[in-house]
Amino acid sequence: MEPQKFQDTFKRIEAEIRKVIVGHDDAIRKVLIAFFAGGHVLLEGVPGLGKTLLVKAFSAAIGMSFKRIQFTPDLMPSDIVGTEVLAESGGRREFQFKKGPVFAHVVLADEINRATPKTQSAVLEAMEEKQVTVFGESHLLESPFMVMATQNPIELEGTYPLPEAQLDRFFFKLLVTSPTQVELREILKRTTGTESGETNRVLSGDGGQHINDMKQLLRQVLIAPPIEDYVVRLVHGTQPAAQNGSVAPASVRNYLRFGSSPRGAQSIILGAKGNALAEGRVHVSYEDVEKVLYPALRHRIILNFQAEAENVSADQIIAEVVKQVPRT
Amino acid sequence: MEALKEKSERGAPEQVILGLVTKLTHHALWDALLAILPPVAAVLYCLLYLFLNLWISPVTTLVLGCAALAVGALAIARRYRPNIPSAHLAAHLIDDRAAAEDRFLTLATLQPSPTAAFLVSRLRAEAVGLHGHIAIKREFPYRIKRHVYASLLISLAAALLFQLLLPLAHSTLHPQPAHELLRELAQRMAQRPNLRETARSLHNLSAKLEDPKVPMQEQRNLAQEERKKIDEQQKKQTQKQDRDLLNQAAGTLQGIEQQSGGAERKKDQDSGAGGIQSNLPQQGQGEGKQSQGSGGDSKGELDAQLNNEMQRGKMAQGNPRESGAEKNPGDQSGGTSNQPDPNNAGKDQSKERPGKTEGSRDEGTGRGKVSAEIPQGTPPAERFYKPGEGGAQGIKGAGYVTVQLPEELAAEGKGGGQKRDSKGGKALSSQVPVSNVPLPKHVPDAPAEKQQMPLEYRGIIR
Repeated sequence: MEPQKFQDTFKRIEAEIRKVIVGHDDAIRKVLIAFFAGGHVLLEGVPGLGKTLLVKAFSAAIGMSFKRIQFTPDLMPSDIVGTEVLAESGGRREFQFKKGPVFAHVVLADEINRATPKTQSAVLEAMEEKQVTVFGESHLLESPFMVMATQNPIELEGTYPLPEAQLDRFFFKLLVTSPTQVELREILKRTTGTESGETNRVLSGDGGQHINDMKQLLRQVLIAPPIEDYVVRLVHGTQPAAQNGSVAPASVRNYLRFGSSPRGAQSIILGAKGNALAEGRVHVSYEDVEKVLYPALRHRIILNFQAEAENVSADQIIAEVVKQVPRT
Repeated sequence: MEALKEKSERGAPEQVILGLVTKLTHHALWDALLAILPPVAAVLYCLLYLFLNLWISPVTTLVLGCAALAVGALAIARRYRPNIPSAHLAAHLIDDRAAAEDRFLTLATLQPSPTAAFLVSRLRAEAVGLHGHIAIKREFPYRIKRHVYASLLISLAAALLFQLLLPLAHSTLHPQPAHELLRELAQRMAQRPNLRETARSLHNLSAKLEDPKVPMQEQRNLAQEERKKIDEQQKKQTQKQDRDLLNQAAGTLQGIEQQSGGAERKKDQDSGAGGIQSNLPQQGQGEGKQSQGSGGDSKGELDAQLNNEMQRGKMAQGNPRESGAEKNPGDQSGGTSNQPDPNNAGKDQSKERPGKTEGSRDEGTGRGKVSAEIPQGTPPAERFYKPGEGGAQGIKGAGYVTVQLPEELAAEGKGGGQKRDSKGGKALSSQVPVSNVPLPKHVPDAPAEKQQMPLEYRGIIR
């Protein structure tokens, strides 16, 4: 696939999503980057900001199958991955696998932190291995496959915070923020009148193949070794314990329990490549890295009690690391 | 860098990067040269200066110069090598100037990969379009860094200080000999019509001062005489310049006197000359008040008392010249005493020393300042009890002085004095009275002018 074609497709999908989503340009772009990089996205924001709508619009734009799972405390793993049911066919009774909602190209795990850890972990294998195992039998998921989970940061009563292992499996964690006045006016205009935007399908025909080609191209994007080194230094910079003679910034030492895993570096590089292609370039620049740094790392660095007590956010720590780590 | 050279054959962007690397390498070399050369030049200048002033030999100059050059070369290399720019850095700079969004960096550092060849081609094409926007020569001119100025200024200041302070230090450490100073003054005086005679006299004096055969004491005397003449002439002179010259000459001569006096004192101290202890009875009360004299490294004590033998002129070893020569030849200035001690008299007394050494002949003339201490009344010889006069034998109302001797002599005086006395009949003994009392004429081998004690002691003895 030609880079130009990638950019065109990318822009068209963006445009289609923007028909129904006002604002959140950065979130839309990051969702698309994560999708073409083969990752999953965790959307965090208070209710009513359009998280679910964003996912719906996205799936509609790419024309892929979409399933929504509303996570509740009584949700069982089998409700997600499916289960064996006794079915009668041709006078014979046999167990047949009944696919769960996870068998879709785009899965919306709405309010994922409301389900029990047991149910949450059922999504783990699906996210990482792109397959589920039921009664000892593995079932491949759709390709492309993407989980988009949402969580509410304020209603924490009766919720089960996602374990670090599961958080690490999300390519990006995107913060959905409140719209600005202008955006809110536009939202009101679109939703309270007679006119309503409708997302059109961008990819026609074999959309899956097209998306796979785009994903392949994204991985071929050129990245200079010094930029890779920069990413390595950044990820190392989030480690509270000194490594290889380097000393972590004071904020990292004071407020972090654990730094980013190697998955964080992978996410940064792939995200930067996606961003470069989206901007019409075939090589990664330092700016690309810094644009995807926050969503790639903010859920991978584990804050300690002191940070929570002092209301220090992960983004503040990352900003400090960026300040401390030189580009060259 | 080699990879970049290979790549540069393929496309222009790599050539631009290579060109900038070369340019920045030259910049780094200039930086190192300009920072290190000034101190090296300053060191070489100082060496040359020392060499031209004959303070160091040519070989030393050559060796030190080579060492300075070697150290400089080493410093240049050390400073230059870390500053050699990498292709990465050069590409980064071009990206910044051309707003190339790291295209040049990627091209310069990317490992060739066949799978993404079409992407590299596209990237190179983009870079070619961008590198036309920058001109390496214009964008990256050589600018002299601040540390170069600092190095230059510090080196210059160091060299100037060296040139200014070294002669000063040299003259302080190695002052110009007095005779040379006098000769210079004489030359200057010779140009003044009124001072030609003085100039000639000073010239002669400088010749004598230069002559090592002339004893120091004589030099001092000559200087003193000359100074007196100059003092008198100075009073007569009306012209300021002449007065100034004479003033300078007087000052120089005074310095010579002090210098020679000091040298003699030092000589005395080095030879272990002791001080003098006075054990003078307080106005006939029969008890001596001791004052501890000190001087030299060794201390000696010799109780000198006048006895009947002395009165009779029977001084077994009591030749004052002989004993004095062993103790304090001609000068006791090395000692200190709480008593009115001539050794504490300082410079003024040292100036008067020629008078003392000449003995009683100069008594009336040569010691104006201490004349109050010198008995002016009865001649010394008459102070002895004459035969038939009642009273004890010896000097009328005589006290005694204790002469502090060098340690060696004192030891001999205490321990082996008697033995030596019996053997050679010459050695000193603690029994031997030693004083500065002028001996009567009839005492053989005791001419008054050869007495060894300063005349001031007579006052003490009295």
